[in-house]
Amino acid sequence: MNSVGEACTELKREYDQCFNRWFAEKFLKGESAGDPCGQLFKQYQICVQKAIKEKDIPIEGLEFMGPSKGKTENSS
Amino acid sequence: HPWETVTTAAMQKYPNPMNPSVVGVDVLDRHIDPNGKLHSHRLLSTEWGIPSIVKSLIGTSRTKTYVQEHSVVDPVEKTMELKSSNISFTNLVSVDERLVYKPHPHEPDKTILTQEAIISVKGVSLSSYLEGLMANTISSNANKGREALEWVINRLNAEIEEFTASARGTMRNSMAAAAFVEK
Repeated sequence: MNSVGEACTELKREYDQCFNRWFAEKFLKGESAGDPCGQLFKQYQICVQKAIKEKDIPIEGLEFMGPSKGKTENSS
Repeated sequence: HPWETVTTAAMQKYPNPMNPSVVGVDVLDRHIDPNGKLHSHRLLSTEWGIPSIVKSLIGTSRTKTYVQEHSVVDPVEKTMELKSSNISFTNLVSVDERLVYKPHPHEPDKTILTQEAIISVKGVSLSSYLEGLMANTISSNANKGREALEWVINRLNAEIEEFTASARGTMRNSMAAAAFVEK
């Protein structure tokens, strides 16, 4: 499955693989502490946010937050 | 199928042959709230097979429609709720959908899905006017959704079988097999 931003597809795939494994093996079994995909997610997010701005997709009411701490400012 | 299987498949629903118009999926946000529920905000892009001559006139960036999806998974209560609405550039028609997956109360190996859709034109709900017409479309879409998940579950099972055949005797192997093979 591709990303909305063509350049982000590879990052998305790596993140998805990590997430799907964590979700099925840890989260659903009640072990949600320690998400191992944080770094992958951040990189993937930076790419996606840029693509959304470039394509002018009107998303309302969403804050682009990383999985842990808070918002990082990105200039585009 | 048990709730865990259905929920895992729902997180990986696309691509699948029943929804060929979905061409892109992205996670916009994902976090676990203070109650331990996993929230995901996703953006789905869909392409409706507009003839290429039209595309060349209006540009490919305007042939995609987008759907915004918010899902909440509660691993303790075993519920998964999905709310999606289309992001419409013209704000003329909007479709909001809500799906909830829960384990069957009497048969633990099955999952119950409740699904509702609200279609509005310029903010006015059309539920009474289009009732007959939409009821057919929505229920066939609901079946399609179920078929799509069935397809994903089969795909995941095939992957697991391949995986277990090639990597015997490791701890991860037995965990993954336990999560998926139970039907």
